[in-house]
Amino acid sequence: MSDIWGGPLEKIDDYRWRIPKSYKPGMRVDGIIYADERLLRDIRQDKAPEQVANVAFLPQIVKASLAMPDIHWGYGPSIGAVFATDIDSGGVITPAGVGFDINCGVRLLKTNFQYEEIKHKIKDLIYVLFDMVPAGVGSKGDIRISEREEREILIKGARWAVEKGYGIEEDLECTEEYGAMEGADPSTVSQRAYERGKAQSGTLGSGNHFLEIQMIDQLYDRNLCSQFGLTLGQIMVMIHSGSRGFGYQICDDYTRSMIQCLSKYNIKVPDRQLACAPFNSPEGKAYFSAMKCAANYAWNNRQCLMYLVRKGFEKVFGMGWQKMGMYLIYDVAHNIAKVEKHTVDGKKLTLCVHRKGATRAFGPNSPELPNRYKNTAQPVIIPGDMGRNSYLLVGTQKAMEETFGSTCHGAGRVKSRTTAMKSIDVNQLLRELDSKGIIVKASGKGTIVEEAPQAYKDVNEVVDVVHKAGISNRVCRMKPLGVIKG
Amino acid sequence: MIKNKYELLEHTADIGIRVKGKDLKEIFINSALAMFDIIAQRKSEINEIESSLPHIIKEQSDDWEQLFVNWLNELLSLSATKDLIFYDFEIEKLDGKNLEAKVWGEDIRNYNVNTEIKAATYHQLKIENKGLYWEAEVIFDV
Repeated sequence: MSDIWGGPLEKIDDYRWRIPKSYKPGMRVDGIIYADERLLRDIRQDKAPEQVANVAFLPQIVKASLAMPDIHWGYGPSIGAVFATDIDSGGVITPAGVGFDINCGVRLLKTNFQYEEIKHKIKDLIYVLFDMVPAGVGSKGDIRISEREEREILIKGARWAVEKGYGIEEDLECTEEYGAMEGADPSTVSQRAYERGKAQSGTLGSGNHFLEIQMIDQLYDRNLCSQFGLTLGQIMVMIHSGSRGFGYQICDDYTRSMIQCLSKYNIKVPDRQLACAPFNSPEGKAYFSAMKCAANYAWNNRQCLMYLVRKGFEKVFGMGWQKMGMYLIYDVAHNIAKVEKHTVDGKKLTLCVHRKGATRAFGPNSPELPNRYKNTAQPVIIPGDMGRNSYLLVGTQKAMEETFGSTCHGAGRVKSRTTAMKSIDVNQLLRELDSKGIIVKASGKGTIVEEAPQAYKDVNEVVDVVHKAGISNRVCRMKPLGVIKG
Repeated sequence: MIKNKYELLEHTADIGIRVKGKDLKEIFINSALAMFDIIAQRKSEINEIESSLPHIIKEQSDDWEQLFVNWLNELLSLSATKDLIFYDFEIEKLDGKNLEAKVWGEDIRNYNVNTEIKAATYHQLKIENKGLYWEAEVIFDV
């Protein structure tokens, strides 16, 4: 399956490449991939560009089918896809444009510790956190909830946790959508999804999900760093998780129903996985509501995880989390669909923006942002792989104009999980990480190998492209010290 | 034994399998066995499988592909909600539109779980009659 993609990629400038809509009959708009020449070589290695072209078939897609530099082969749209449809003129919504792990996302919290102060405690911290945070396949948590409470979580999102005492009001202000999308109707969620999601609140899950203790190792924008209260050597915590089995079930349920919609609404797409329905159809509305339920479930999950992290630090250092300055910088979703207003060809349109492995990156003064971030623009958190860096960026006005206010979401895979399993020796990998001063605890050795740095693009290159293309700006860079994998 | 009945396919983000069988029933069963083989390995120290009642699965779809994907996703979903790994399958009815099967599962605690499969996808899905046998390819989102 490693045939090199031979389709057309026309250079627009050093960081933008076009797949013209003339490439395949049926494409309604061009495809545009953000990448430099080096990343483009990786991108051509699989059929992800073909998926960018396939997305351009969707009814009422506007502007272009976009792909971020961390693009890699997914199912339906590629990972790293951003596209929007005009919902007032029949534009569609597709579950495949969100993905199975609805509102998979990351949050970044700071501490007021410096690396030098606590470097001897990192190992203790990782062991305590590994103990407190349920991780691994199908992991279940200590935060037990009844079905009635679960319905409440679907409506209230992270606010549910805050009301329970698992956080403070300020946490919600520092979460995309304030931790809950409005209009989530639990009656659009199947009984099976409830069952599958039960007992998974406050759990990390498996695969690429992680919890990391990091240190800031590079400042790019000193002014923004000082506004966010960040300095060199500062200890940070990053949490990466999603809606778990609850989201998978919703995606599965609605992909089934939307396959029927293709003939019902006479929609022609080149890949069945792109099953979709008009946003304003009963099926489209039902999926969007169920997706919001899963998104809210995920925000609550990350809020519960952050609560456990704060408790873990309290246990190790014997003081309250506020005293340790463990405040949330921001929480972003990177698998989600939203209704947003954007200007396209001079016209303000109401769009259904799909971000699948892509992050919202709103520029300064966006009304969706809380007051504290009106001047700075929206913080954007980009996790890397466990051996390299992660980034804090901010959104830009240029992103608003070009990418519906979106940017990349991470490193992006280059090696399949099976290849990684075959070619990487787990003990050697752990020694390498150890020599870099990175402690890893995982529920199974398999995930360590599958998620090894060699399996990913270099996040530094990915971030370099979005920064130079102007769709987000670098604020600072972190490096991992301790990693908990599911 | 199931190891000989499927092979893993390379796919950047996910895991794919190629499965053979003498007929479609066998394709459906071998794919399910392969899927659970990827998910978990039975702990060697546990010997006997406690006998249990089967779960009944009924699926209706417009064509083979949907039936196949829905079958695998229904098994994943049941496995996740009931904390079971399915190891035995009896397909009682299978035509282009309907599937009825009995499936037997065992407590997931008797297994070492390796991989979480989120879902089976339509991406590059193939179900083909090769003359003497059938072959299917399916990619899982993991």
